[in-house]
Amino acid sequence: MSVSQPALTPSTVSRRRFLTVAGAGVTTSALLTMLDARQAPAQIKGTTLRILQWSHFIPAYDAWFDNKFVKDWGDKNGVKVRVDHIPHLELPARMAAEFAAGAGHDIIMNGSSILTRLYYKSLADVSDIYDSIGKKRGGWIPTAKPLVEVEGKQYGIPMFYILLPMLYRKDLFDANNLKAPDTWELARVAARTLKPKGHPTGIQFSQCADANLNWRSVLFSFGGAETDPSGENILIDSKETREALRFAKALFDEGMTPEVFSWDDASDNRFLASGVGCWIHDAISAYRTTEDTNPDVFKNTHIAMEPAGPGGKRVSTSAANVYMIWKFSKNQPAAKEFLVHFMEEFKDGMVQSRGYNMPYLLGDAQKPMPIIGSDPKMQILQDFPKIVAFYGYPGPFTTPVQEVVNLFVLPDMFTRVARGQSVDDVMKWGVGEYQRIFSKHKRA
Amino acid sequence: MTTASLHGGPEPSARAAVVSAPVLPTSHASWWRTHSAQRKTFGYTLLAPAALYVLLLVGAPFLFSLWLAVSDANVGDPVAHFVGLENFRAAWEMDTFWIAFRNSVVFLVVAAIFKGLLGTSLAFLLLQNFRGKKLIRGLVVIPFTLPIAISVLSWKWMYDSQFSVINWVLSRAGLIGSYGSESWPVWLGQPKLALAACIAVNVWRTFPFSAIVLLAGFTAIPLEVLDAAKVDGCTFFQRFRHIVTPMIFPILMIGFLFDTVFTLSDLSVVYLLTQGGPANATKILPVLAYQIGIQAGNLGRGAAIALFLVPLLLPALILVLRNIKRREW
Amino acid sequence: MATPRTTRQKEVRRHLLVYAGLTPFLVIAVFPIYWMVITAFKQEPDLYRMENIPFWFNMAPTLKNFNILFYQTNYGSWIVNTMMIATWVAIITLLTAVPAGYALARLRLPGAENIGIAIFMTYLVPGIILFLPLSRVVATLGLQDSWWALVLVYPTFTVPFCTWLMMGFFKTVPMEMEEAARVDGCGQLGAFIRVVLPVSVPGVLTAVIFAFTLSMQDFLYGLAFVSPGDQKPVPVGVPTELIRGDVYFWGSLMGAALLVGLPVAILYNFFLDRFIQGITGGVVK
Repeated sequence: MSVSQPALTPSTVSRRRFLTVAGAGVTTSALLTMLDARQAPAQIKGTTLRILQWSHFIPAYDAWFDNKFVKDWGDKNGVKVRVDHIPHLELPARMAAEFAAGAGHDIIMNGSSILTRLYYKSLADVSDIYDSIGKKRGGWIPTAKPLVEVEGKQYGIPMFYILLPMLYRKDLFDANNLKAPDTWELARVAARTLKPKGHPTGIQFSQCADANLNWRSVLFSFGGAETDPSGENILIDSKETREALRFAKALFDEGMTPEVFSWDDASDNRFLASGVGCWIHDAISAYRTTEDTNPDVFKNTHIAMEPAGPGGKRVSTSAANVYMIWKFSKNQPAAKEFLVHFMEEFKDGMVQSRGYNMPYLLGDAQKPMPIIGSDPKMQILQDFPKIVAFYGYPGPFTTPVQEVVNLFVLPDMFTRVARGQSVDDVMKWGVGEYQRIFSKHKRA
Repeated sequence: MTTASLHGGPEPSARAAVVSAPVLPTSHASWWRTHSAQRKTFGYTLLAPAALYVLLLVGAPFLFSLWLAVSDANVGDPVAHFVGLENFRAAWEMDTFWIAFRNSVVFLVVAAIFKGLLGTSLAFLLLQNFRGKKLIRGLVVIPFTLPIAISVLSWKWMYDSQFSVINWVLSRAGLIGSYGSESWPVWLGQPKLALAACIAVNVWRTFPFSAIVLLAGFTAIPLEVLDAAKVDGCTFFQRFRHIVTPMIFPILMIGFLFDTVFTLSDLSVVYLLTQGGPANATKILPVLAYQIGIQAGNLGRGAAIALFLVPLLLPALILVLRNIKRREW
Repeated sequence: MATPRTTRQKEVRRHLLVYAGLTPFLVIAVFPIYWMVITAFKQEPDLYRMENIPFWFNMAPTLKNFNILFYQTNYGSWIVNTMMIATWVAIITLLTAVPAGYALARLRLPGAENIGIAIFMTYLVPGIILFLPLSRVVATLGLQDSWWALVLVYPTFTVPFCTWLMMGFFKTVPMEMEEAARVDGCGQLGAFIRVVLPVSVPGVLTAVIFAFTLSMQDFLYGLAFVSPGDQKPVPVGVPTELIRGDVYFWGSLMGAALLVGLPVAILYNFFLDRFIQGITGGVVK
């Protein structure tokens, strides 16, 4: 089916107009009806839809989502919708429980642990709406498909991702004639200069989600990789990886204090909000926390682009979030309909999340983006979609990658180096772990 | 006027009757025999609800978890194949597994020592009569009554690398340096400190429980025996060793055993505090099993790791329990 | 004349020694609680300044955290759920563990020793594995996402311990009492209900408080089986809705803990009183 790409317009484009422009090439009449949100197919009226997702760090988002967004859609379509929340780190446990029970929610979210490849046999094939949403909204960013695709079919709809940009104290930088941290080397110089003045930096050298993300950004920006694009071959042992490890050690020695070994995902937020940190590499939840708890520091906190590695490469590893539908769901039509609606109205979500939710759809990534497009300090975030990557980069998010992430192998490598182990020893250990995990999954 | 004890420790008057073989006055013996079938039916009926509950909701799932441990089950895959002891072998080969094993054992032993010491001392103190006893008893029990997830989270904030209230106090008292210096302990960031910190939370939570169990035991010891010993000129420690300890031994053992299994399988403290870090310093077997089995989805290996301790503990438990039973009967 | 003074001096000295001995315990046990109380009333920015004193207010105290707790989360429901769950679990535990304890302790059943040990063994099975097959059971019974699922599941860890507890208590009831009752014409059941139980009230109460407390210590089962916000008990609801992403709402977290922990501690203390009283019936010191 060839449909000419519609001109990229805001989401309020009239659906009827789209259909006329696109011509008669539509798959099924049901799909047509689905895209026209004013009329729901009679089959989903009177049904119930249950959604499970995380507790968004902005409580107002959850309040809007639960009480307004889904309610409005539910009322309009005659569907009773219920939304439940659990912390994103506990989603795997809940997913396992629902799978074992063969019952639970209809739509379930995966955050940071994208379990498509583990569960795909029990997930509904959503390739049809994946394609239609993509076509309607200007296409998906290239790194979206590997998250949800198994054997040519898509089993999930990427929802949004979370950026971890550079957050730095412009006042401290200016006072010390430091250039903005556009490269990792500049960041290191800044930390080296400011630590003696009581303003060290910090990145988690521990077993937590942010460590998995941050150190991969460093690794990828230095030109290193975990696997090749096929996802089959381990490439962790390279000159670039060693350089990244050496950099981390230097950065720790010169610019950090040992407290980073105990940091969890929230520690760098607090670090920045306390006024001590000179820069951190973290999600803008830290930015918002500082805004709420320390307005003086917030005034001087700026957001910078993902720093470049020595070769000029920039890769920002982001936390992916994906919606999936269980195969055992008794209400797949309503679930699909809802997901289409959610992705169409994605910009609302961006607004309600105060700029936190980042879009997988190119149509939503057009400038100016809501909130971040109008806030001068946040505008730089609009340039991130070009450089985002997810676990498994440059390959797909496979099950061995899943295990490597869940066992914090990469953060462990960086931690060991920071603690003084030689790069060679660490590399040997790390390669051993990767090989063990990958070979185990090949066996299975 | 009966002296009741928690788990045995027969009364002095009954002891004579019990220590010799269960010989009852003949009229009663024949009474027992003729009603023995009735007694057994009655007994099994009373036992049935508990036995059924445990069998259905623990026994069956236990068998299922045994199956998991010898299969290649994955979270998302409905079909699993038998793989024999492969999962155990894979666990055996993992560096992290042995680290977790060692950590679990260290955790258990150190925590038990502290709980024993603190529990015993507290029990002794609570035995005394003093004003405000009820209030104080109520206060020291609070750590045990707070829901575990919440109290552990509070400790997480108390151990924070920047805002730790413990460090604040120690630093103001001059015992450690200020923030950022070498001597500022990063409780959850330095490997040995992290393990100590987790153990401390476990001890804090459960030593009131130990104290109460011991208290019950102490109060069961008949005064007459203690007084007689005092009159005979035994010192406090002699009394403690020769009279108190044997009598509270069953209770001590039961309490210790329950505490052992609870501690060994407890996931919450470490999971909420450190997730097993830093660099596996606090990774204990339940945490590793959870990360591999649930978060990474490899149920088979997760089950194997989780069940690893069972064959080790089982014989030890049976031995100890048989021993106690013998003392009681 | 010198004697009464010495006795009183001795008493005072003994009291002082005891208090001195107790102080470290009190500090260890209670200090975190005190600190939690203060934090619950602090404003958020107050927490994030390094110069601030943790033990007192640097900015004005506020009720905002409790506001959030009651108006922006389902805390009220959580408390009700927790109490309901604990009560039902205590009831189920009593109905199963008390008879079982008696049967194992007094009725000289063949295989009693092994059954006793087997019951104990259930604690060796880790919850992280158990929750999966239990998930299926819960769903089949239609209890998924309701707090009744927890009422079903919690007795799996309260019953074994309370059975052992009751065994111990029943063993201390003198055989003569039971035999006397039977000679008087009570059946076995009658003897149990009319003679043994009343004497074992302290034991039963102990089992109740342990069941109650244990049912507030779970996190994993609650997480796996109950996801709707208004069905969660406090130990699950608080960490799941007051920790959002990487942001912890500390003030509300502390407030939540206290509001449920302190009343239980008071209740606990009341039962503990009875229990100790009952036990020390003849050994008053």
